[in-house]
Amino acid sequence: MFTLKSAQTDLNSSILHQLPLATALVDSSFNLVDASATWHQLFKTNVNVNNPDKIYTYFENHDGCSPQLLEQYLIGNDIRTIRHSITKDENTQWLESTFAPWMDENKNVQGTIIQTIDIGRQIQKDIELEQIKELFQATTEINHIGSWEYNIETEKLYWCKMTKEIHEVPESYEPNVSEAIQFYKQGYSRNKISMLFHNILQEGTSFNERLQIITHKGEERWVAAGGKSIKKNGKTVKIFGTFQDINQQVITEKRTKESERLLTTLIDNLPINVFIKDKDSRKILVNKAECDYLNLSPNELIGKTDFDLYDDKVAKTSRDEDLEVMRSLKPMLGEETINVRRDGSVTHFLTSKIPLLDLEGKAYGLIGMSMDITTLKQKEEQLRNLINVTAIQNKKLINFAHIVSHNLRSHSANFSMLLDFLIKEKEPKEKERILGMLSSASDNLLDTLENLNEVVDISTNVNLDKKSLSLIDSIERVGQNLSAFLEKNKVEVVNTIDESLRVMSVPAYLESIILNLMTNSVKYRHPLRTPKITLAATKQENGVTLSVTDNGLGIDLERYGDKIFGMYKTFHNNKDARGLGLYIIKNQIEAMDGYIAVESSVNKGSVFKVFFNEENE
Amino acid sequence: MNNIFIIDDDPITVFGIKKMLKTTVACENISTFRNGKLAMDQLRQDIENNIAPPEVIFLDINMPIMDGWEFLEEFLKLRIDDKIIINVITSSIDPSDYHKWNQFRLKCFHYLNFKNKPIFKIESTDLSRINLAS
Repeated sequence: MFTLKSAQTDLNSSILHQLPLATALVDSSFNLVDASATWHQLFKTNVNVNNPDKIYTYFENHDGCSPQLLEQYLIGNDIRTIRHSITKDENTQWLESTFAPWMDENKNVQGTIIQTIDIGRQIQKDIELEQIKELFQATTEINHIGSWEYNIETEKLYWCKMTKEIHEVPESYEPNVSEAIQFYKQGYSRNKISMLFHNILQEGTSFNERLQIITHKGEERWVAAGGKSIKKNGKTVKIFGTFQDINQQVITEKRTKESERLLTTLIDNLPINVFIKDKDSRKILVNKAECDYLNLSPNELIGKTDFDLYDDKVAKTSRDEDLEVMRSLKPMLGEETINVRRDGSVTHFLTSKIPLLDLEGKAYGLIGMSMDITTLKQKEEQLRNLINVTAIQNKKLINFAHIVSHNLRSHSANFSMLLDFLIKEKEPKEKERILGMLSSASDNLLDTLENLNEVVDISTNVNLDKKSLSLIDSIERVGQNLSAFLEKNKVEVVNTIDESLRVMSVPAYLESIILNLMTNSVKYRHPLRTPKITLAATKQENGVTLSVTDNGLGIDLERYGDKIFGMYKTFHNNKDARGLGLYIIKNQIEAMDGYIAVESSVNKGSVFKVFFNEENE
Repeated sequence: MNNIFIIDDDPITVFGIKKMLKTTVACENISTFRNGKLAMDQLRQDIENNIAPPEVIFLDINMPIMDGWEFLEEFLKLRIDDKIIINVITSSIDPSDYHKWNQFRLKCFHYLNFKNKPIFKIESTDLSRINLAS
């Protein structure tokens, strides 16, 4: 039995030695019982079975197989596989050992059977592949890029995990072409992908398109779908492609575009001129108002400086402002500026310039905003003129009030005084005399009131009553009225006025002016000369100047200059002088927006020049 | 009182002053002038002829040719050693006239009075300052 058994053992041993697969037997005390020649070859040892070595010895210096791990595998009751390597002289040998329990006929564990194969370079490639897979996985996860594959022969469509995730379908989902196309949003997206898929099938045309899908959970999502074909012998056999979730990206792009449009719409429609300039004051952005103002298109304006658009002085001022804003980094706010365009037109602006800062806080340009306030300025100017006119009229009015009060007071004072005398007077003769005085005081008062009426009658708003009048007709009419007076004083009248000349005037005022100037010339004639009046007129741009020249006494203008047109100012010992004529005609001519001036020298004569304004305000 | 000037272009006022003077003071010579220039011409002539200037002047402001202020301006330039009483008479209630009078009063060597019309009476101060001083 023992012999048989021994023979059996020998037989077993002999078989073991010859096994083509490297095999070793290890007893339960972890001693190597026996091994095939191939095993010894692999482990490069000659084992003496009579001095069984511990199995650990063989695995010494093997990576991936520590003694603890080895022991675990040796005592295990199931089949396990480990990979390990041994490096010798810079050559690495990759091995795979399988551990299985070694049992006798009665299923009692005797030890462990170890089978080892040289797996060579395979393992290395596996590892590399694993790494690439991991990297790929990471990449797809980060970028949300999935992939798909379609086998034309089997009509099988394969989706990777990410592609499924994007579609929000479970991992177990098995896609097919028709369902895959149904995921695309009805309308443009679905039509487009159908066409693209058809084209790639038929002609192998690759594609890459942004489309919308509705996910399994009903969410709308932007994706980038790409496809490429693989051909064999000119025939498309396989299609594969990418599938990327670009929803966030598209939405962000859309939002950016929307806010850009909002900003552009806003800037373009602001009723103020907006521009952005670079460091060299070249315009890099202009809005519609700015374009309209300069009558140029945006393309014509971009890149231009103020020197290209305005006159040099204006451009220089503007450039200096730009430089100051960019230097000081302080905005210029609401400054009044004046722009003169190339055609010479002037615009008043309320301008602000705000520096544009880069991340380091340095100015790389500026934003400018200009509001056209030309109309406002004109209104302001008109208002100022109106105030001036009002102030002058107010002054005149006060002056007039004083004159009135003075003149009326002087008469009333006379009445009071004379009445006081009359009451106290006893003598009838003296009483009669005082009464005569009272009567003349009363006449004087009436005269004064009449004079004042004449002044008050000159309205300051006569433009509506102004008519175009023949100057020569008016002069002839006055001449006729004065004919007796002129003849009596032997006056020589020289008239050089053109017959066609017409002036804009209130008819009564024109005659009053001519009458007053002519009678004055006679009243203040030189006692030793025959009075001579020369009438002349010249047409001017917006009116006519009438001049009345005499050879009379003349007036010392240095002494009386400012008083000559004043009320109740008389300068000669003349009984007829009321001191009212010149005052009245000055008011009349000024009421018609004209003016009167005088040149005179004592004992030689005077020239009065009257300007009739043709414009109606 | 020997000599009084009345310078006024209004005959009624001249009449009134004369009438009031008659009842107040005995004066041999009362001269009237229609404007400042005529009075000034007389004064210059009198000085040349060594005739004493008037002791009192009644002076209107609003007159043709040379008004009261212009007369005063010229009068102050004359070399007169005696202090003369000048009564400025006006119907004006314009404060600027009073102001002007006051300026003349301050720089004037003579006595300057301001009288608003109507006048009913000639005051003693209008004719003499000696009483006041005593």
